[in-house]
Amino acid sequence: MVVLKISNLTVAYPERIALQNVSFEMKNPALLAVIGPNGAGKTTLLKTMLGLIKPISGTVEILGMNPFKEGAKVRRIIGYVPQRERIDPTMPVLVKDVVLMGRTPKLPLGAWFRTIDLEAAKEALSLVGMENYWDEPYIHLSGGQQQRVLIARALASNPKLLLLDEPFAGVDLTSRSLILDVIRHKVKEGVGAIVVSHNPEPASIADLVLLLNVEVMAFGSKDDVLKPELIQSVYGMPVILGLPNLSGDDHV
Amino acid sequence: MECPLFLGYPIYLVMIMFEFFSSPLILRALLALVISSIMTAVIGTFTVLRGLSTMGAAIAHASLAGAVLGVIIGIEPVLGAFLLSIVFALATAYVGEEGGGRMDILLGVSFGFSTSIAILFISMLSAYTVAAWSFLIGDVLGVTEGELAILFAFTVASICLVIVFYKEFKFITFDEEGAEAMGLRVRFIHYFMILLIAIATVVALRVVGSILTVVMLVAPAAAAYEFSHSLERMIILSVLIAVISSLSGFFISIRANVATSAVIGVITSITFLLSLILSTKRRKCACRLVSPVRLVKEKQTAFKKHVPRCSQATLEKKT
Ligand SMILES: Nc1ncnc2c1ncn2[C@@H]1O[C@H](COP(=O)(O)OP(=O)(O)OP(=O)(O)O)[C@@H](O)[C@H]1O
Ligand SMILES: [Mg+2]
Repeated sequence: MVVLKISNLTVAYPERIALQNVSFEMKNPALLAVIGPNGAGKTTLLKTMLGLIKPISGTVEILGMNPFKEGAKVRRIIGYVPQRERIDPTMPVLVKDVVLMGRTPKLPLGAWFRTIDLEAAKEALSLVGMENYWDEPYIHLSGGQQQRVLIARALASNPKLLLLDEPFAGVDLTSRSLILDVIRHKVKEGVGAIVVSHNPEPASIADLVLLLNVEVMAFGSKDDVLKPELIQSVYGMPVILGLPNLSGDDHV
Repeated sequence: MECPLFLGYPIYLVMIMFEFFSSPLILRALLALVISSIMTAVIGTFTVLRGLSTMGAAIAHASLAGAVLGVIIGIEPVLGAFLLSIVFALATAYVGEEGGGRMDILLGVSFGFSTSIAILFISMLSAYTVAAWSFLIGDVLGVTEGELAILFAFTVASICLVIVFYKEFKFITFDEEGAEAMGLRVRFIHYFMILLIAIATVVALRVVGSILTVVMLVAPAAAAYEFSHSLERMIILSVLIAVISSLSGFFISIRANVATSAVIGVITSITFLLSLILSTKRRKCACRLVSPVRLVKEKQTAFKKHVPRCSQATLEKKT
């Protein structure tokens, strides 16, 4: 069973085409980096894979299922980490509440968390090195810690595939390497991971790289894709790769 | 045997209190106040966090229209309010999702729409304007035993539903996008929340009136928000603030012989304003100089698009 197979996918919003004729495939669980400038359609691609946006044409096969037919089923076996800035950090929730949200879709309405749910949540939290923050308010955490908690939430659902939207945006080096380690660890366990980033830098640690700018500009191993001319043609300026991002804030 | 003078006054006071509380009228009013405060404070927590306060105001006037329609066609006003507010609330939520326009504009128009219909019905009521008045500004002393039973039933049912939907409500309130992506039926849950807001406006209608329903829905919860780091704490604080404000408002209004709903509205509004000043949430931010108007504005749009005012990232960059 292929993890993900996308063929000739075209997605449009009322006023613009977001993805055009996108095709690529991930056969075995691996770490795939999707890179491309702002507005390249990266988030749209994730949403379409989840069956939340209907394409104009093309097909998606994800973990052997069609997300436009069995959307709910697909979404329940996926761990999704949204772009952190979409979440209001002043919401009155504790870290444990956030992590337990990963267990919520598994339970029926009205059911309360069982011991196994609490254990799964605690384990996920310790995977990202945040086990001491179980009872802390989410608002007290730094940006990088919040990001790790959101990743723990995705891990708590025991996903078969992880989708992470900009997990490194605004994250310092410590959190960044921790997050990477966790993702790598999960990939070794057989969980596919798709990391979206507007910054090409994370691609240097990925197994597969998709360079996206509405269309697929390049797809393959990192050596095939991370060619300076190619990156420059997409981003419109030279990008130096391989250097660690020392500012800790990779907003372009 | 003579009672010493210094004991006389307290005994007199106690007797007055006793008489006061044993009056069925007062007891009903107190119960109605407590019930509606609990209801609006619990539902108000979600209303505030999901930025639905304007929606609450619009639905409150649909309740008013429904109650007046009930008087016109001769059914129980509470029932009329219940039916019309639910139809209106779900229709507004549906248009908001399907229309895809700007939510603030839609809600502004729907507020005007429900209020227009209410006024339209009131104008057809030539002989019974007193009835309309009591739904506009509330009439807690006029609550009958039957109405009290209905308010109680609505509130108990709604609280049970909140418990059933609690973890789902928490998830979509915090992160609707994530909830949808991880397989929650966000739209269904959202509609359910809207439904509960509609029922809360029905419960508040008879007690504080349609004009002030939105204050009961928003002010205690918004005040509680300033001192809460967890949803549970926010709900409990919101209920406490609402119950205390409405009971003290009731006693003050009786003494001063003025409209109860108005005094309750003033007290809860002042509580909210004070809470903004005393807030423990932003204390440690260096951004306290931001004008409160901006804080309120930002909070209103926070659920759509949060602008981190004092995020750790910016702090780290500075150091
Ligand atoms: N709901 C929407 N309605 C209309 N247009 C949209 C919508 N969402 C996204 N778009 C447009 O589609 C294009 C792709 O958006 P998308 O969010 O997928 O980009 P992205 O690659 O994730 O960008 P970023 O790096 O900024 O997150 C953008 O030009 C955007 O303006
Ligand atoms: Mg994006």
